[in-house]
Amino acid sequence: MTTVTAPLPTATTRKRRSLASWTSDQLDLIVTPVLALILLILLVVVWTYSTFDLTTERILEPSQLARQLWQQLYVAFFSTVIVVAVAIPIGILVTRESAPKVKDTLVSVLGLGQAIPAYGLIVLFFVWLGQGPTTVIIALATFALLPVLRNTIVGLEQVDTSVIEAGKGMGMTGVQRLARIELPLAVPVIMAGIRTATVINVGMATLAFLIGGGGLGETINAGLKLNRPTAIFIGAVLVALVALLFDFLGGLAQRYLRPKGV
Amino acid sequence: MPEPLIDLQDVTKSYPGVEEPAVKSLNLAVEPGEILVLVGPSGCGKSTTLRLINRMIQPTSGRIIYEGQDVTKSDPNELRRRMGYVIQQIGLFPHRTIAENIATVPKLLKWPKKRIRERVDELLEIVSMDPSIYRDRYPSELSGGQAQRVGVARALGADPDVLLMDEPFGAIDPITRDRLQNEFLRLQAELKKTIVFVTHDIDEAVKMGDRIAILRDQSEIAQLDKPEVILTDPADEFVENFLGSGAVLKTLTLRRVRDIDLDPMVTVKQPVHRGQALAEMNTANTTTAVLLDEQDHPLRWIDERALNSSTSSLDRAGRPITVQLQPEDTLQDALSAMLQTSSGMSVVVDGRGKYLGCCTIESLAGLLLNQGNGSEHS
Amino acid sequence: MDGIVNWWDYLSSRWDLVGATLMETIIYVVTVTVSAGVLAIVTGILTRNRPFAKEMSLAIASVFLTIPSLALFTIFIPLVGLGFAPSFIALFLYAILPILRNTVTGLDSVDPSVLESARGMGLTKSQVLLQVQLPLAWPVMLAGIRVAALLTVGISAIATLVAGGGLGDFIKSGLARLPLPNSLEAIWTGVILSLALAFTIDVLLRLLGRVTTPAGVR
Repeated sequence: MTTVTAPLPTATTRKRRSLASWTSDQLDLIVTPVLALILLILLVVVWTYSTFDLTTERILEPSQLARQLWQQLYVAFFSTVIVVAVAIPIGILVTRESAPKVKDTLVSVLGLGQAIPAYGLIVLFFVWLGQGPTTVIIALATFALLPVLRNTIVGLEQVDTSVIEAGKGMGMTGVQRLARIELPLAVPVIMAGIRTATVINVGMATLAFLIGGGGLGETINAGLKLNRPTAIFIGAVLVALVALLFDFLGGLAQRYLRPKGV
Repeated sequence: MPEPLIDLQDVTKSYPGVEEPAVKSLNLAVEPGEILVLVGPSGCGKSTTLRLINRMIQPTSGRIIYEGQDVTKSDPNELRRRMGYVIQQIGLFPHRTIAENIATVPKLLKWPKKRIRERVDELLEIVSMDPSIYRDRYPSELSGGQAQRVGVARALGADPDVLLMDEPFGAIDPITRDRLQNEFLRLQAELKKTIVFVTHDIDEAVKMGDRIAILRDQSEIAQLDKPEVILTDPADEFVENFLGSGAVLKTLTLRRVRDIDLDPMVTVKQPVHRGQALAEMNTANTTTAVLLDEQDHPLRWIDERALNSSTSSLDRAGRPITVQLQPEDTLQDALSAMLQTSSGMSVVVDGRGKYLGCCTIESLAGLLLNQGNGSEHS
Repeated sequence: MDGIVNWWDYLSSRWDLVGATLMETIIYVVTVTVSAGVLAIVTGILTRNRPFAKEMSLAIASVFLTIPSLALFTIFIPLVGLGFAPSFIALFLYAILPILRNTVTGLDSVDPSVLESARGMGLTKSQVLLQVQLPLAWPVMLAGIRVAALLTVGISAIATLVAGGGLGDFIKSGLARLPLPNSLEAIWTGVILSLALAFTIDVLLRLLGRVTTPAGVR
């Protein structure tokens, strides 16, 4: 999820970073599985060697964990679909030449948006829309929209203007320039946006339990309420593993679905 | 031969993992007060060689002698503060004012504040920039040529004996470059620094260098000599190829109008005696003459027809003389001046504008032909 | 309008509580930003000429941001217990990446010819770092510090779930008491004060940027 807090001057970063034989993007694909492996080993060790009391055993009931995992992924999937469907078109619209000059303001406002507590946002949506997975999906989509939209704008802005000028000079219309130059060149950024959205949503879905939306957060919460550190730990590691898995898959997709030459 | 100021002795630089050394057993002596130009194709190691002198690169083996002392192992920072260093991209500190930039080395050497302030102003004057205007500006407010001047001023900061210049005028447009080169030569005539100058441009090398070292791969010296010797007498095929087909033409920049015999054209001095003038032209078997005023300043080219026609005033006959040469001009200037006139010749005047003679394209061609033959024979 | 009036009444009747809770969040922001800042800037400086170490530290710092906040806040509980400690650790781990990445970007984007000429004039390594690289990288580094501080404001709301205090307390207690009176006001208090704090920090850091950015590179 390296794109969430991307600093604005990324154009130069990219150029310079390619000088190193290893890029952090590539190392991501190593560090993430390594951390995941460590967590997995910890999980297995704790699970095997600690003695569970009855309460802990009930919290960690495998069929219950499976249901929570399913709820978590379900919520994350739909909120990601919404984010991508909304953030990327808006990003494209506000970066058009003809669009009102709002994007700079938008980018800095969206930067401030990072400070919105996701916790508070979910609760406010609950007050507004009531209990259930739909509320969670909408709340998560709203939260993840900000960073993804910001990345889309920054990513499209990053496309070399001389390439766009060249397209203009060859007589391409605005739509043609968008379809044949800007979007293909922005594919890596858009992929990064989708990855970001997925990882944020998988992670935030842990908070769904707060408003009766289920998810693995239930296990952590039960551990907290009933003071069972082992259960808390196992729940937290499971959540982390799911997030790392999705981040890793996102990284792979970003790497292999990228158009050649970009 | 004077004691060299900088002496590279058997210097080799190799990089780990690269079989061939970048610089191989180089011996190079730089004499005090000269501009030594290192020139060669890209990748020949000329910049590496320059950077070995101030130990931006540490030599793998060999010795670097500076002012008679072995500095191969001494503190490189001390050494660099004693040598000015100018690079193509200049590298002015964007967060410091022009004055602060120029004061960098004096500050490192802990000069008193007052002395630094005076030195900064003096240096700005030297590079023809008004201190009161530029002292407190920032590099982002300068044009390329101005930034280059400040770069030179900064390199001269603590009055080093040596300037190392790595393609200093490489990133500047041709017109400004020409002006900066001339200014720099004028400056050097006063300052008499010892300068090692790297360029890939043979024309620049010929113009700037007291001596030129032509380098091939691994910084091997193909030829090291005065420019006119290199141009007229290239040591081998490599040098010849590097000079290019225009080598003979390049010698035009080294020779001056005073070096060739001027043609004694028929002159007609005001007030004009037409008959006498016509008679003289007849004897000299020419149809054109130079009209001079009472002080011997050349005015116009006039021909027989204008002299014969008694009705037309000589003030408007023939063609006006628009271009004049002086003995100090290079033969290249002479050639371009003559190509501007349809007659293929140009008048030469002295410093006060008095007529000395004419320079023709034939006499220039004769000189070049002799030279071409000469180099083939040797 | 009623809502706003009610909220204001709610707020004015418990300034003490609001102040104390706000202070808890501010303590998180300050301690986390300063400690993560020191670690990230030192790491960025030490690895500036070692590409592999640099990329490795970036990759490690970025993997923390992948881990969902509730998991990272709770995973250390068996080791350090509840309260400030697990919250601080989680927020600290999150805040490293923005500062580290911008430190690396900032140092890397200093024009190489400026460094070459600095070295060529005989500045020592530490003089080059202190007089040239850091001043030129500072605006970018400060932008990273700003992102880290804002991120900390947002995520620190979770701290309440591990008894770590902060503005999240209002959200938690509001949610617990829904739909009783004042519960919605409590939730809004948590959200709005977080945003207000973020805005204040943003303005302060921008001002700091104005003051500390060397003239000539503004």
